[in-house]
Amino acid sequence: MTDIAPAAPPRPAAERFLLAFSRLWAWAFLGLMVVFFVIAVPLASGGSASFLTLRNSQNILVAITPIVLLGLGQTFVIISAGIDLSVGWVMSLASVASALAIRAAFNAGLPLFPSVVAGFLAAVAIAALVGAVNGAIIAKLKVPAFIVTLGTSFIVRGIALLMSENTTVIGLPAGVRAYGNEALLYVIRGEGGGIYFLQPPEVTGELLRRLDRVLPYPVVVTIVVVAIAMFVLRKTQFGRHTYAIGGNLEAAVRTGIPVDRRLIALYMLSAVTAGIAGFLSTLRFTAGSAVIGDPLLLSSIAAVIIGGVSLFGGAGSIMGTVIGSLIIAVLTTGLVMLNVDAFWQFIVVGTVVIVAVLIDQSRDLIIGRGRRGARR
Amino acid sequence: MTVPVLAVRGLVKRFGGLTAVDTVSIEVHAGEVVALLGDNGAGKSTLIKCVSGVHVPDAGEIRLDGRPISFAGPIDARQHGIETIYQDLALANNLDVPANIFLGRELKRRHLGGLVRTLDERRMLAASDTALDALDIRFPSLTQPIESLSGGQRQAVAIARAVYWEAKLMIMDEPTNNLGVPEQRKVLELIARLRDQGVPVILITHTLPDVFAVADRIVVMHRGRKVAERRAAEVSTNELVQYMVGALDDFRAEAAP
Amino acid sequence: MASKRWSLVLAGAVALAAVGAQAQEKLKIGFLPGVVDPFYQVMQVGVEKAAKDLGAEVVTQVPPTWGVEAQTPILDAMVARGDLDYIITAPVDKDQMVGPLKAAADAGIKIITVDTFLGDGDYANGPVTFPLSYIGSDNVEGGRISARGLAKAIGGKGAVYVNSTNPNVSSVEGREKGFAEVMAKEFPDIKVIGPDYNLDDPNKAAQQTQAVLEREPDLAGVFGTNVFSAQGAGTGVQNAGLGGHVQVVAYDATQLAIELMDKGVVTMVLAQKPFDMGYMAVEFAAADAAGVTSLPKRVETGFAIIDKDNVKDPAIARFIYQVPK
Repeated sequence: MTDIAPAAPPRPAAERFLLAFSRLWAWAFLGLMVVFFVIAVPLASGGSASFLTLRNSQNILVAITPIVLLGLGQTFVIISAGIDLSVGWVMSLASVASALAIRAAFNAGLPLFPSVVAGFLAAVAIAALVGAVNGAIIAKLKVPAFIVTLGTSFIVRGIALLMSENTTVIGLPAGVRAYGNEALLYVIRGEGGGIYFLQPPEVTGELLRRLDRVLPYPVVVTIVVVAIAMFVLRKTQFGRHTYAIGGNLEAAVRTGIPVDRRLIALYMLSAVTAGIAGFLSTLRFTAGSAVIGDPLLLSSIAAVIIGGVSLFGGAGSIMGTVIGSLIIAVLTTGLVMLNVDAFWQFIVVGTVVIVAVLIDQSRDLIIGRGRRGARR
Repeated sequence: MTVPVLAVRGLVKRFGGLTAVDTVSIEVHAGEVVALLGDNGAGKSTLIKCVSGVHVPDAGEIRLDGRPISFAGPIDARQHGIETIYQDLALANNLDVPANIFLGRELKRRHLGGLVRTLDERRMLAASDTALDALDIRFPSLTQPIESLSGGQRQAVAIARAVYWEAKLMIMDEPTNNLGVPEQRKVLELIARLRDQGVPVILITHTLPDVFAVADRIVVMHRGRKVAERRAAEVSTNELVQYMVGALDDFRAEAAP
Repeated sequence: MASKRWSLVLAGAVALAAVGAQAQEKLKIGFLPGVVDPFYQVMQVGVEKAAKDLGAEVVTQVPPTWGVEAQTPILDAMVARGDLDYIITAPVDKDQMVGPLKAAADAGIKIITVDTFLGDGDYANGPVTFPLSYIGSDNVEGGRISARGLAKAIGGKGAVYVNSTNPNVSSVEGREKGFAEVMAKEFPDIKVIGPDYNLDDPNKAAQQTQAVLEREPDLAGVFGTNVFSAQGAGTGVQNAGLGGHVQVVAYDATQLAIELMDKGVVTMVLAQKPFDMGYMAVEFAAADAAGVTSLPKRVETGFAIIDKDNVKDPAIARFIYQVPK
């Protein structure tokens, strides 16, 4: 029996603790933040406001919808050791395209639902096209992803502003609002309350005040997309190849992985999730906006990094990105409820991102990745 | 005389004005380890790359099991059973042992009547276990990313991969570089085991002790030409060094004027 | 002026409210302007002063950028607090913010819009009726005044350029409309170029203005429709070395606009009255809480027209947007 070098001696307890901590710290931080706000918000408002309400939890879920969707695609791309800087503008372009499509379809006589479907298809198709262009240039012309997606982001931005004629795309049928804002469940808190499925109860006044929407449709769509993404990343050959490309591109090429095809698919994926986000935004605000995705790019990258995806590629998970997004949203919402200047959120998120990268680096040091130097 | 697994006759490869491989012929039979020696620039890497499909030779012939063959690329060569393990091993550090063994050739399971295909991790793990067993390799854990394995262990994974995919011919480029002495010994034992199982191995190396430890025959190249082909048992270190620096040349008469 | 009459009604209501407020729990009001800029900062001063005078508590949050994706989550969080009675807000889009604000109203919070309105601004008979009131400038009239001022400054003919911020915002839309209306009807010899949208970025406004200056040799005047547009356009003119030759009318009296006027770059500054808007909004909230039901659905606060001649007059200068230290 050959023992090809005996197993490395078991790690000292300190190292093992640090490794476990580095995997779980994001969860712990999220938990701590929630506890902090649950205590602090009532204190700061003299007992009148509270943080952990059903309504607030749904607000947070709705707020993270675009960040999670952008982050999902970004997670795949970053695991492959790439990056997609165009997602914010792709979301805007998709928002404009879907608004125009819905309006045109409805005005041409299509009923509401098919018009909305037309909007969805428009958003996804245009996003997929941008993603394919990104992927093709990155794979075939071997231009670094950073540069390509930066360039396409400007082009996409121009197209979005052109298509929307530099204004918000309005004039959508009013029924669209329902798709973007109604929910699976309706809960009326307190007396005379109850739980209703799919149809909001027709109430007014006091009962209306206590009506909360639980699991709005955009959140449901996001949960479904998250589940699919987790499945693809963990359980399919495509996901495995994504990790391989990020781990060692040379090895991927030499072992026969069709790297070019995979890269194009990856950038199409990240664009399409952005496209879905744009479509949902159009539904939510009943309008297409050419500027809506702009601030979200950096938030999506922050969420991905906080969630433990290494910027060097080869590691990360969807769940991590979801946790990262939750951290950002809980933080933002909590600060507003504490009546703290919302600008603090930027400082805190930035700090958390740096901490996340430091923790990622320390994991590398402990495991010994560092000693083998650059991998490509 | 059995048909050699690999027969290279009169191979020539030029890059611009430089003749990297100058009319080289070698044969490798089943169950033997051939060491390919030569100083830097001798042409051993280029020769190997022609055999493994990376380069297309300018002249000469390659026969596999007696049949002439030319490869469309390295993947084509691999599909014909020629596995090459380069110095960087082509392993993904962030993936575990079974994932690496099946890299690019993952086993899948079908669900929902063929609509959805997922990775068959159970089968890959079992197959890896068997392959490693056959080579008598033991790892502490098969499901940890291989980045925490030692150099020798990673070599073992690369070798196990080649063996699993039923290599007809194994080519190894400097396998014991960057390894500590005990690990070098273990890798050489593996190579010997491969040979014993009938897989021929071409071993490119600088390290003379390795040659004497495991090679059956030695081919020395110098400035693109084959200058020696000797049985390991019948040659001394001194002679090998002289071949390598060009002081000795058994085929000088055949060289172009 | 309309506001004078209402002031008397309010005085009475305020007295009532002040008494009432002591008796019940403190009134809690949320203030959610559009973005960080001197106009809203002065409005915030007005809001806080009124809150102090009337014994109400104000929770203020200012979105870092102009846009529904920035304003909506903050609005949602304010609603989720569960303790606000009123929200005074400047909706950043007159259509997209209808949904989120209606949801806030459904949750029991009364909405007062300042500076910008929802829908068409007619909360009595228009498409949007749930807000309590709209308090802001008559921006169409402001546009008209700006047009006449600029036309006079350039001698009634030539080309003028309009630089604006965001589309679908009621306030700047009104100004563009009033401006275009007057130019078309009263000054047919003046060609109007634009509007271009700088998306609330003064740097962009400066660039856009300079670009137009390059390609339009006859350009005689520029109209910047709000704080950042005016600043940016004025800077653009100045950077092109045309200060004094190209007349600039600036809507919104920031320090920078006044400085540019001193340098001769800006001809006329239209000052709104954000302090009054903010103060009145809180008054309305207090009055409504005290049971007043006859609050007007629309109040137009006035303008102060500032030019080189009256800028030193303290009665006028007090309308310059500055936050007291």
